[in-house]
Amino acid sequence: MTDKRLLIIGPNGIGKSNLLEAVELLGSLRSHRCSSDQDLIQWDQPQALIRAKANEHEILELELRRKGGRQARRNGKSLSRQLDLIGPLRCVGFSALDLDLVRGEPALRRQWLDRVVMQLEPIYADLTSRYKKLLRHRSHLWKQWRHQPAQQRDSLLDAFDVQMALVSTRIHRRRRRALKRLEPLAAQWQSWLSQGQEQLQLSYLPGSHLEGDEAEEPWRLAIESQLLAQRSEEERLGSCRVGPHRDEIGLLLNGNGARRFGSAGQQRSLVLALKLAELELVSELCGEPPLLLLDDVLAELDPRRQKMLLDAVGEKHQCLISTTHLEGFQTEWQQGSQIIEAGSLISSADVG
Amino acid sequence: MGQCQTCFHFSADPLCEICRDQKRNQGLLCVVADSRDLLALERTREYRGFYHVLGGLISPMDGIGPEVLQISSLVQRVDHDDISEVILALTPSVEGDTTSLYLARLLKPFTKVTRIAYGLPVGSELEYADEVTLTRALEGRRAME
Repeated sequence: MTDKRLLIIGPNGIGKSNLLEAVELLGSLRSHRCSSDQDLIQWDQPQALIRAKANEHEILELELRRKGGRQARRNGKSLSRQLDLIGPLRCVGFSALDLDLVRGEPALRRQWLDRVVMQLEPIYADLTSRYKKLLRHRSHLWKQWRHQPAQQRDSLLDAFDVQMALVSTRIHRRRRRALKRLEPLAAQWQSWLSQGQEQLQLSYLPGSHLEGDEAEEPWRLAIESQLLAQRSEEERLGSCRVGPHRDEIGLLLNGNGARRFGSAGQQRSLVLALKLAELELVSELCGEPPLLLLDDVLAELDPRRQKMLLDAVGEKHQCLISTTHLEGFQTEWQQGSQIIEAGSLISSADVG
Repeated sequence: MGQCQTCFHFSADPLCEICRDQKRNQGLLCVVADSRDLLALERTREYRGFYHVLGGLISPMDGIGPEVLQISSLVQRVDHDDISEVILALTPSVEGDTTSLYLARLLKPFTKVTRIAYGLPVGSELEYADEVTLTRALEGRRAME
């Protein structure tokens, strides 16, 4: 990829998104589309390999195995931790899923925030995957040990409470901090997009009851007692009532909830403001502008917002863009772009 | 191959070589998930107590509860024998930590319970940890709350 913008055009199902997803995986070790590696490997194959030349002297590789486990390599050398792959290929993705960031379920906003925290602190991935696992074990525990002696079940739940309280504290703290850094950036973009008409506020609404500042010990103990207190309700409803899996991010435009009261246009602009804030924060952090992945999303934006996105991204970021058709594309986006038909791309995709 | 009737390590005899060794420290008991972990610890030559092999870790997701592991036999051992310290050497995964916390509460009325410190890289399995790391982890063990 030599030009500022690479525009990949082709019909659905030809592998455009796969290519962008592969870049995203190498850059962030995550896919916005799937949470399990199983779904990233071709169905009849035992493993998948992504290899890319990130720059003059760096070749990155990530191998996914169906049995589980990943192996990362840098210039052919195996890395003991896949986290060490993060760095040379920073990227920020923007896909059709993100268009629901404002209107959609809280889970979408948590995922967005988590992607940002991941870029700030790669180790965060360990925390979230640990937390997910704890939640899964916990729900199985209720199902299987429902008829077991309560004493044994309760001692097991105690063991989970202790771990969940600690991991939850660390997740809450990181999400809150990241949101604090994002807020001024997003507010500035929102103001720019609305020509000064709209003032944005982001608020962190944690799924645990947290008081005071980020002191680890008080938060941990508070969450532990909340977990204990909700057990009978948890048994009745079949899901844990406390923790970061119930976090919400409040979006206020001029003091009103944007999710319910914002117009369609305001919501679209807000999505853009949130993504631009993410892009800016990640740039600031890694010292160089990250690669922007626009997966099937540009043609979904109206001409005015396309233009604004282009102005904001400018010549600073390299963009990888996928689309099924060029209609609806502002011509400015096509200028200076290398345009590739997806069919021809597949044959040369493995050299990246 | 069978199992030792005392510690549940691989053994052809009813009592394994380690459990027969009179020169070992009678008061120390190290709890591991399986025989491979035991062998990794033996290679350090640092630890001279006895072992107890659980046969796995608590994992509700996989249907593994305390009752399918060698936990009641462990409690019996700690209750009957004169053991001054139980060292939990379980891998620091969610399942390992769950098992450690569960065991710590169960055993605390009988004896002092410690766990090997996390000099271990996060996410690494005990089996792959090198001997230096394991030795350091053993030295740095601390009491569980």
